[in-house]
Amino acid sequence: MTQPLLKVSHVSKRFTRHVALDDMSIEVPQGSIYGLLGPNGAGKTTLIRIINHITLPDSGEVVFDGHPLTMADVAHIGYLPEERGLYKKMKVGEQAIFFARLKGLSRAQAVTELKKWFEKFEIMEWWGKKVSELSKGMAQKVQFIITVLHRPKLLIFDEPFSGFDPINANMLKEEIMELRREGSTIIFSTHNMSSVEEICDDITLINSSRNVLSGNVDEIRRRFCKDRYVIGLADEGDKLLLPSIEPMTVERTMERNDDGTSTLKVHLSPDADVRGLINAVNEHGTILSFNEAMASMNDIFINVVESTRL
Amino acid sequence: MNQISLIIQREFIERVSKKSFIIVTILMPLLMLLLSVLPALMMQFSSSDGRNIVVVDETGVIAPDLHDTEDVTFSRSAQVLDSALTMKDVAGILYIPSTAVENTSGIAYYSNGPVSMNVEGELQAQLNDIIESRRIERSNIENLRQVMDDIHSDVQLLTFRNDTDELSQESSALSFVLGIGLALVLYMFLLLYGQMVMSSIIEEKNNRVLELVVTSVKPVHLMLGKIFGIASVAVVQILIWMALLCCISAFVIPATLPTEMMSEVSAVQAGTFDAATSQYDADFVNTVATLGSVGYIFNMLFVMLLFLVAGFLFYAAIFAAIGSAVENVQDASQLSFVAMVPIILGLVLSFSAVQDPQSGLAVACSYIPLTSPMVMMARLPFGIAAWEVILSLVILVASFLFTAWLAGKIYRVGIFMYGKKPTLKDLWHWSRQA
Repeated sequence: MTQPLLKVSHVSKRFTRHVALDDMSIEVPQGSIYGLLGPNGAGKTTLIRIINHITLPDSGEVVFDGHPLTMADVAHIGYLPEERGLYKKMKVGEQAIFFARLKGLSRAQAVTELKKWFEKFEIMEWWGKKVSELSKGMAQKVQFIITVLHRPKLLIFDEPFSGFDPINANMLKEEIMELRREGSTIIFSTHNMSSVEEICDDITLINSSRNVLSGNVDEIRRRFCKDRYVIGLADEGDKLLLPSIEPMTVERTMERNDDGTSTLKVHLSPDADVRGLINAVNEHGTILSFNEAMASMNDIFINVVESTRL
Repeated sequence: MNQISLIIQREFIERVSKKSFIIVTILMPLLMLLLSVLPALMMQFSSSDGRNIVVVDETGVIAPDLHDTEDVTFSRSAQVLDSALTMKDVAGILYIPSTAVENTSGIAYYSNGPVSMNVEGELQAQLNDIIESRRIERSNIENLRQVMDDIHSDVQLLTFRNDTDELSQESSALSFVLGIGLALVLYMFLLLYGQMVMSSIIEEKNNRVLELVVTSVKPVHLMLGKIFGIASVAVVQILIWMALLCCISAFVIPATLPTEMMSEVSAVQAGTFDAATSQYDADFVNTVATLGSVGYIFNMLFVMLLFLVAGFLFYAAIFAAIGSAVENVQDASQLSFVAMVPIILGLVLSFSAVQDPQSGLAVACSYIPLTSPMVMMARLPFGIAAWEVILSLVILVASFLFTAWLAGKIYRVGIFMYGKKPTLKDLWHWSRQA
């Protein structure tokens, strides 16, 4: 496995009145989409600011691409803040060029790249308009382009889909996936748990300034559903089905679906084995599917945040 | 730093290309010119309706010598005062009692409507002259008029500087006016442009564009870029005004004055002017000569420009720190007092500095960076030694480095603070955060 693009080790940051980050460590693998989750005020923004070299940590280390993070690295980072804003009286094109040049692009490079993106998003006609003339969604698109224009190695999106209609949100999602395919690593901070399930490879859940849960999304979802299975049946099976599996399970529910099929959800006893379960079910019904259950990120989020509340 | 220069560029272009900037830059000098010409114009218009004054003269020896002027015309009346007072279609009634030559206290003017200072002054001057003549005649002393004329003295003081190399003629009245003028310009620029820095930072913070900018630029660099960007706008504006002013002083003044006066003006400039033989007021000729000499104006404006930039930088840093701490202009008003009070104080002190430019207070305040931009300007036209100017400037620049350092610390923390109206104490705490 290659080295992680970003490694935050034991970072702490305190402000006058409170601790914003307490011994925080995360590792963002090269080329992954990394979800940064947590309730409001947990310390996500502080962590993002530290990664962006806006705030410096009191202790701990941030390693970017194999070396300690410096101001020069911010040219390889693109950040879309949750609170969007552009210079209202500046024209769209000039403004985009300004931000691109701040990230180290030459004017000519910036113009070429911008034209590509503006054509892709079919917004060439906005070039000479002032930002104040754009709608909120339009300005968001411009800001997205500004974020990704300099082809950063690391992209940080804070609630990227807020303010977009479903069509544009989908388009944005496609773009994010495309950027990942092109080699960018993406940190994705959001409260939208279904989008986490959909696009994130790994996550870290921050609560009360600490890292309370880290890892691969599927792994975590399974871990929170250990010994839980979902079995699809062609019918409800015979009367002996539920009694026959009772000894080997802690919990079982049968739900009848509208099309005549049913879904059996079971929580296997720690000492029982899966094969026995399948045999028992197979004897009394027709199995259509057999799956490990996966907890929703939503449940995990609520579960973990509540159990780690101080 | 490449990024700072980008910030400066953006700030500069955005402001200079604003319509309001262009309009103010061009209209302001025209407005000033108009304001200086306006009193003369108004005099011309107002004098066209010569005021008719009815004179009731009980002495009979004064009224014949009253002569009409642009402001007033006189008509004698044989009526007694009471019946004359019923006339409402004249400007007013001048009453001269029979004892007026001996005792002037009874003389009165009854006006229909408000009395202008011109008319009052004119009446008093004429009456004084006439009564004086009558008294001389009555004294029966031979040649008294001649004697008195010989005795009469009218000193036109010419002031020279003895402590500097050049022995230039100076007019303290001109220095006075110039001092106040320069101090006012500094005051205006510091206040307007300083607040511009503040409101611009508040705006950036408010619409959150700041969050985006600081991902590429260090907050301190952003702050400095903004300050220098706005400073360059101020410099461009003042340079344009200076250029216009120099044009006026070099071409317009010589062209509009009578040629005899111009020859005397050149005499002053050449150092051969002799007040005794001059047909004009010496102070006035001096003033014109000074204003008309491009070198003098240029020197003065150059020093002003230096103080304007240094003073602006010093105050802009303070305004920037305040702007970073608040979310809207209303919240800023309390804090911005901290910066505005010393600027206003500086102007007030300038008024006393032009009265006595060498007083201890004036000298001290022209070194203290909070007031030095204004007070030094007030002292400057009186001829200040170069080392004094340089020392004051050095102190000011050094103080800017200090305020910029402190403001940078506050700014770094302040721009991310939302939701709470900060106090001076908060700002102090922020400046001490690592």
